[in-house]
Parts: sequence; structure tokens; C-alpha cells
Amino acid sequence: MLELKDLYFSVAGRNIIDGLSYTFERGKFYAITGPNGSGKTTLAKLIMGINLASAGSIGFLGKEISSLSITERAREGIAYSFQQPARFKGITFRDLLAMAAGTDDEGMLLALLRRVGICSLSFLDNPVDAKLSGGEIKKIELATTIARNPKLAIYDEPDTGIDLWTIQPMVRLLKREQKEHGTTTVVVSHNRAFLEAADIVLMISEGKLVYRGDLEGALPMLNDLTVCNYRKCVGGKDVGCYR
Amino acid sequence: MLDAIDKDLLKKVADLEGLPKGAFNIRKNGKLLQREVSANINIESSADGSGIVVTIKPGTINESVHIPVILSQAGLYDVVYNNFIIGEGADVTIIAGCGIHCGGLEPEGHAGIHEFRVGKGAKVKYVEKHYASGPGRGRRTLNPTTKVLLEAGATAAMELTQIGGVDEANRANEAVLGPDSLLLITERVLTEGNQKAVSANTITLAGAGSRANMISRSVIKGDSEQDFYATMEALAPCFGHIECDAIIMDNGRNETVPSLKVRHPDAALTHEASIGKIASDQLMKLMSLGLTYEEAVNRIIQGFLK
Ligand SMILES: Nc1ncnc2c1ncn2[C@@H]1O[C@H](COP(=O)(O)OP(=O)(O)OP(=O)(O)O)[C@@H](O)[C@H]1O
Ligand SMILES: [Mg+2]
Repeated sequence: MLELKDLYFSVAGRNIIDGLSYTFERGKFYAITGPNGSGKTTLAKLIMGINLASAGSIGFLGKEISSLSITERAREGIAYSFQQPARFKGITFRDLLAMAAGTDDEGMLLALLRRVGICSLSFLDNPVDAKLSGGEIKKIELATTIARNPKLAIYDEPDTGIDLWTIQPMVRLLKREQKEHGTTTVVVSHNRAFLEAADIVLMISEGKLVYRGDLEGALPMLNDLTVCNYRKCVGGKDVGCYR
Repeated sequence: MLDAIDKDLLKKVADLEGLPKGAFNIRKNGKLLQREVSANINIESSADGSGIVVTIKPGTINESVHIPVILSQAGLYDVVYNNFIIGEGADVTIIAGCGIHCGGLEPEGHAGIHEFRVGKGAKVKYVEKHYASGPGRGRRTLNPTTKVLLEAGATAAMELTQIGGVDEANRANEAVLGPDSLLLITERVLTEGNQKAVSANTITLAGAGSRANMISRSVIKGDSEQDFYATMEALAPCFGHIECDAIIMDNGRNETVPSLKVRHPDAALTHEASIGKIASDQLMKLMSLGLTYEEAVNRIIQGFLK
């Protein structure tokens, strides 16, 4: 349903996404993992249209979308939960949910919240501003993605800041959305709970796809520090990894 | 009594459909149009006829006064001095506002000088909206001044809004805070075209335990300009905060000058200012929910000025 071909995203001569090709199948659950700075968020933003590809093509349900705007891609059925959600002034969770769902009908919004489950009802009239805690805003972000009823939902590290009691319910929620609504689901995560829930695990390193397959097959790479870009993060080859 | 234009202006500046309930005073083209007093709220023309004196009896709870001004006479510059005396322990809402309808080439304007004396432990909410409309090209000027004196333990929450169509505005707010009093000012101004608005604020925290929070939200479109000056002076142990946010669109221009003067070692004054374009992450979020760029801009501004 989503076909990436020879995709590049380059800034100042550096290929942050470096010739990546992959085809996502309809209705499947994908987990994308990889070291910090490997290009996961960049890839997700390329799909949503927030970043525009330097080269390559993006096909969505048989249609080339790489020149479409964010709005147009959203209307085609793609939704993205930001790793770092925007904070507003004077816009509430209710406002965002209503925009996402295309209705401000109280009953429908409450039904949506029940479907999402992990956001408390008392959030609804909270402003989505700088005062929200890190976990609260991630839950709101996730709810707005579900409210879109997307064909393709991409969640960028939905679990950052989420408490231990909510991780499993969140995994179950995304699985349920996948099953009941046939949502093609892509979760960018370092969390084992999501990797285990996925049908397919993808690993990105330095802008390239270095693994695709089941979690078991990925385990050796997850334990292999050479996949990590630690030499770059500390600079030079004589320095060790601080972890 | 009220024609269609009057009704439209009243709706815009005072959320009124027809005449208000309770005490009110409607001024049209420099003259009294209609007045109503209540058992606890008296309204009188001042001795020299330059405005009104609103006196609220001590202990008056949950009552409101509407004092809208309508202007639809070409060439008129209406100046009015209004005094509000709010008795001890009262808790009231005052809704003011000025609507200008300009049909021709001649300028029209209004200057409302509003003075509040808020008695011990009294609470007042003051809502003021300014709006101008009409097909005419005459310059529309609104120069509101508010002066607030808060006695011990008094509270004033002031919402000052300029919602559009005003070519020139010189706004001045002054306040002196007594012991344990609280002042909250929220000012929202939208300018576009070649409009210009200046807001000058002087807040003096004179009493121990006084608190003030001044929030300014500006949206500056087209070639318009808005300048914001705020001086907060602390003479006693107190808290004060100034927050100015301006969204600049097109070629809008802004100057923001907060000034904090601390004259007492136990005073705490802070300020925050953020001026610039709409944050791109906000736009992208709303567009990813299916809104167009223009829709996203409108929603963000609506929220910002809410
Ligand atoms: N617009 C940009 N301009 C310059 N550099 C960028 C830009 N976008 C991303 N990068 C860089 O590209 C690299 C990949 O960033 P990206 O956010 O995609 O990483 P990530 O895999 O999502 O990492 P994390 O696990 O920390 O979220 C980083 O080094 C980042 O600084
Ligand atoms: Mg990332």
C-alpha cells in the first residue's frame, strides 16, 4: 500500500535518508527501530510530506504522492503522530480532536475517547500548551491520529514519557486498531513491547534499511554495538563507548 | 431606538441581542441613548456632563453593568470620562465596548477614559471590546485609557480586546495595587492593512502581597504595526509577571519593551516575550489533521486570541 523507491533526503551534501526502498503491505503492523539519529523520524516525515524527498518516489495505494502537500496526504489517509508534538496557545485537546475527526459532536468525541481508552476524559478541555506533561501530550497526539481513521498510521516513538501502566494498553490499542479498522500501522520505537507486537521489524542505520523481518532475526543486530553509531557520537576511533 | 447598525455593533462589542438585563448605559454619537439603573448599581451623568459615574453598593454580588458606546456619525470624535466606584466586598462584571460604524470619508473616533476604584475585598471583571466596521474609508480611531486603583484585597480581571477594523489605537493602562490585591490584564489586539496600535502599560505594585499578571497577545497582519510597552514597578514584597506574545504575519512590525523596576528586596518580577511567525510545528500538526495551510493559520490565530 506504501511503496518507497530509491528515497533520498539530503541536507548540505549529507544523505540522511540514503537510497531507501521498501514496500509496506496493507493491514500489517510494522515496527521501525534503529539508533538515535539514524533517520527514522526523517523517513516518517517524508511519508507525511513534512519533509520533501530530494530524490525517489513514494507510492500510496497506487498513486504517486511525493509531490503532494501535507494536507493532501492527510486527506489520502495518512496520519502521523509526531515524536515531539506541537504545543499551542489557546487550542484544547477537544479542538484538536474535533479537527482530526471532522466533527465537534460531543457524543462522537466521547466515543472516540472511549475507543482510544488511554486518555482520561478530564483531558478534553485542557489546552494543548507548554504546561502539559510529556506523557500527557503524547497520549493526546496518539488520540488525534486515531481520530483521523487513517489507512496508514505512523506513530513516532508513541511510548516516550508514557508510564509503565500505559505501555501495554497502548500496544493493545494499536493492535486493535490494526485488526478492527485494517489500519496499516507503523510504529517507530526502541521499546521491546512494540517490536514484539509487530508483524515485521525494520531496522534503519545511517539512513539505510539494514534489516527487515521478524523480531527473532533482528535480535543479533539489536545486541551488536557496531550497528550503533557510537563512534560518531563520541568522535574519533580511539574513544570508547560511554554506555 | 436601536437601528440595525446599532444592533450589529452592540452584538460585536457587548455580545448583546437588543437591550441588556440589569443596569446599563448606552451612549450613541456622544449622547446618552438609554439608561437603566438597579437597586445596587447607580449610574449618573457626571456633573460636567463629560461622562458617567457608576457606583456599585458594597456587597453587591453577581450583578453586571453594560456601558457600550456606539459611533456612527461622520466627523465625530467622542471623548468620555467614566468613573466606577466599586464598594467593599462587591463582585461584579462591567461590560464596556465601543463600536464604530463608518459610512463615509470623514474620520470617526472615541476616547474612553475609565477610572476604577475597587474597594476592599471587592472583585471586578471588566470586559472591553473595540470594533469598527462599515464601507466608509474615514479613519477610525479608538484611544482607550483605563486607570485602576485596587484597595486592600481587591481583585480586578480586565479583558481588553480590539477585534478589527480600527485604524489607529493608543491604548493606555495604569494600575496601582494595594496590599494583597490582584490584577489580571489580558489584552488582545489584531491589526491588519495599515493599522497601528500602541499599548502603554504602567503597573505599580505598591502594597505588600500584591500580585499582577499582564498578558498581551498580538496578531499583526499586512503592513500593520503594534507596539507594546509595559512597565511594572514593585514597591513592596509582591509578585508581578508580564507575558507578551506577538504573531507576525506578512510585513507586520512590532516593538515590545517590557520594563521591570524592583524597589523592594522581596519583590519578584518576571517577564516573557515571544515575537515571530506562527511556529511551523503548529502549522504542520494541523495540516497533518487535514486542514489547509490557510485553515491552519486561522485556527492557530483564533486560539491565540481566544
Ligand atoms: N532538516 C534537517 N536538517 C539537517 N539535519 C537534519 C534535518 N532533519 C534531520 N536531520 C539530521 O538527520 C539525522 C536523523 O534524524 P532523525 O530525527 O530522523 O533521527 P531518528 O532516527 O528519528 O533519531 P531518534 O531515535 O533520536 O529519534 C540527525 O542527525 C538529524 O540531526
Ligand atoms: Mg526520531
